[in-house]
Amino acid sequence: MKAYLSAFRMRRKMELQYRGAVLGGVICQVFFGLILVAIYRAMYAGKPQEIPLSHITSYVWLQQAFFRMLLASDPELMDKIRTGSIAYDLCRPLDLYGFYYVRIMAQKMTGSLLRAVPMLVIAFLLPEGWGLMLPASPTGFVWSLAGLFLGLLCVSALENITMGFTMRTLDFRGMQALLNLLMMILSGNILPLTLFPDSWQRVITLLPYAQLLDAPIRLYTGDTPSSAVPGILLIQFFWILLLTGAGILFWRANQKRLEIQGG
Amino acid sequence: MSYICVRELEKRFVIREKRKKGALLREKKTVRALQKVSFDVEQGELLGYIGPNGAGKSTTVKILSGILTPDGGEVTVGGRVPWQERREHVRQIGVVFGQRTQLWWDVPIRDSYDLLRDIYRISPEDYRTRLSELTEALQLGDLMRTPLRQLSLGQRMRAELCGSLLHRPELLFLDEPTIGLDAVSKLALREFLQWENKRQGTTILLTTHDMEDIVALCPRVMVLGHGRKLFDGSLAALLGRYDTVRTVTVSYEEAEAVPELPSAIPVIREGKNLMITYCPDEYATAELIARLQAAGTVRELTVQPQNVDRLVAAMYREMDL
Repeated sequence: MKAYLSAFRMRRKMELQYRGAVLGGVICQVFFGLILVAIYRAMYAGKPQEIPLSHITSYVWLQQAFFRMLLASDPELMDKIRTGSIAYDLCRPLDLYGFYYVRIMAQKMTGSLLRAVPMLVIAFLLPEGWGLMLPASPTGFVWSLAGLFLGLLCVSALENITMGFTMRTLDFRGMQALLNLLMMILSGNILPLTLFPDSWQRVITLLPYAQLLDAPIRLYTGDTPSSAVPGILLIQFFWILLLTGAGILFWRANQKRLEIQGG
Repeated sequence: MSYICVRELEKRFVIREKRKKGALLREKKTVRALQKVSFDVEQGELLGYIGPNGAGKSTTVKILSGILTPDGGEVTVGGRVPWQERREHVRQIGVVFGQRTQLWWDVPIRDSYDLLRDIYRISPEDYRTRLSELTEALQLGDLMRTPLRQLSLGQRMRAELCGSLLHRPELLFLDEPTIGLDAVSKLALREFLQWENKRQGTTILLTTHDMEDIVALCPRVMVLGHGRKLFDGSLAALLGRYDTVRTVTVSYEEAEAVPELPSAIPVIREGKNLMITYCPDEYATAELIARLQAAGTVRELTVQPQNVDRLVAAMYREMDL
């Protein structure tokens, strides 16, 4: 267990080396956030929606702040598979799935926290109707933190499955492009899931991608009534178990047929 | 039973090649990377493993280190089957793949070592003594706080080696460890490997294309070609069969000196210098030197054995590799 913790800390340390990238990321995400908020403001000016505008702007800012958590974004691990340096990892007395899982998790967590803290401060400081609202209730806030952590576990499991595909195809681009597109749409990054038609929402919110950020954001804004909280967390748990289990089996099958090519 | 025991090892790879005609069609080709290879290695041995590119050396190393599952044959290392008891097996081995890196690119190498400590569950005391011993032997002391990306190739290789030996492996695989190193680094690395082999009793299996590595380190050599074992024995015995030719370089005081030699012996002339290649078994060295002296005033004369690389090249040619 210590080895996995140590690997987690190591990846976190590595992520902390890229402080310039954080600044770039924050600027980029603030820019995107402002544009999206401006679009929704224009839409609401014409035809106000059921969901209050402040919920939507908060949704946008939370999505942008934790953007780093979403996309498969660890070139280091992909490169390891492509170049064959994964051979070294195979020579460690560790479970390979777990070893990669903690590294993905550390990278996503550190990367998104580094960006989220300054971004959320900026979003709070924006004028009324543009920025981030306070959490709907203190308990809602606590639940949303729990939901965010479960979302992190869920997305790490998802990315480890992408990694498993990379081991088969030896190039991450195809599968990653497909999965990233699905993720962008179905996680509510492009359009908040709360704005989808109700009949769609009933299905979309059950899918794994909705568990990453949509679920915790709904808990934060209070779009989810407190009676529905256990249900949301249960769905998140369900997907974590399923995705992790599938990933472990997938990796095990991969390891049996793995070839490290070249000398 | 020997420490490493390999019997009739087989491995096939399926390679898909593009056909000459038709952009979308591919042909499947099966390459037999290893064909019934058998050998034994005792604990504490230093074994050189050579062969031309694509001979199956790396495949053997990958199977022995538990990364690759063979298609046939039996392998045990210390009584364990590497690919079946992978985790127990890899705890006992160290690997250096000359072309790949195990240390973390953007963080100081000391942090990579700390991670390896936790991965191999090395006790803090043992870690401290082992690390100071290795950093001293490999002269890494000043580099501990440097990120890997800032190290030169030679420094990096030493750092990699240190990482592979922290957990005191019983068995060390070295895959072209001296590739791209300068003369000083190469010598230091060889000295270190000998030291490690003597002091720790580490069994070392070295694959390399640098014949100097083999000459300096390995009492025993195994030659692999086209997936078959072609030779297993001492380097002297291997080269004895090909090492039949000597080259004499002689320089005269006068430019017009022409020694009388049988026409079968090739002579290359460069001004006052002559280069003569002959076979001591067929033409006596004493006779040759006497004739060279008779032709003029000799200023300098050297007799050189064949270069090891050439011998190996001749051997590969004869073995049709």
